[in-house]
Amino acid sequence: MIERTVTVVPEDGLHARPASQVVEAASEYESRVTVGPAGGESVDASSMLAVTSLGVGSGDAVDLTADGEDEQAALDELETILTTPES
Amino acid sequence: MTDATHQPLIPDLIDLTNEPETKPEAIESLLDLAVEAGRVDDREQALADLRAREAEATTGVGMGIGIPHAKSEAVVSPTIAFMRAPDGIDFDSMDDEPVRLLFLLLVPAQGGDEHLQMLSSLSRSLMHEETRTALLEADSPGRVESIVLEAVE
Repeated sequence: MIERTVTVVPEDGLHARPASQVVEAASEYESRVTVGPAGGESVDASSMLAVTSLGVGSGDAVDLTADGEDEQAALDELETILTTPES
Repeated sequence: MTDATHQPLIPDLIDLTNEPETKPEAIESLLDLAVEAGRVDDREQALADLRAREAEATTGVGMGIGIPHAKSEAVVSPTIAFMRAPDGIDFDSMDDEPVRLLFLLLVPAQGGDEHLQMLSSLSRSLMHEETRTALLEADSPGRVESIVLEAVE
């Protein structure tokens, strides 16, 4: 299992388009992927309801974990989504 | 905020008799509840804001739940409206599950991140299967109100 902490850049926070991108990406990998507020309780990143429940805003730090064969690629993609400003 | 008219969810915003059959119909019917309760002063503007949010990403959050929402100039005070679709409707949900529980969330444009907080506490409560089951089985608006208030606390 690998872990990474990133600061959420999109203005919407983990909500609307960035949230759906995270859920979509997390669902595409074999690895089990979680997301949660830094130091807090994490949830399944492939569930939109769970991700929405976090209430993570722009500028908040989140912990990402991935566990599985493609964990590296999974976290790389999630980090890209969460650190790219919305166009 | 003890005045009942300022609570986000009141029985007048809960309709268990009208059962929408499509996603657009659900959004309009929920909005009508908010308009009738005096929570929205410009229906067209609120509808445009809800549709814009929906176009960005679906509010079908999975597990049979739809939470269309918007932060809008047209909204008078933070509002939650509720309806059910017992047969399930297609809500473009990411888990492809038909939606049976429908919540509309509206907050005034100057609401800061209140929007995200309401959405997050509602979502957190709906992750519990017992909450979802209780809402599907509730037989009165008063019952729905108490389930939601209990769960969101």
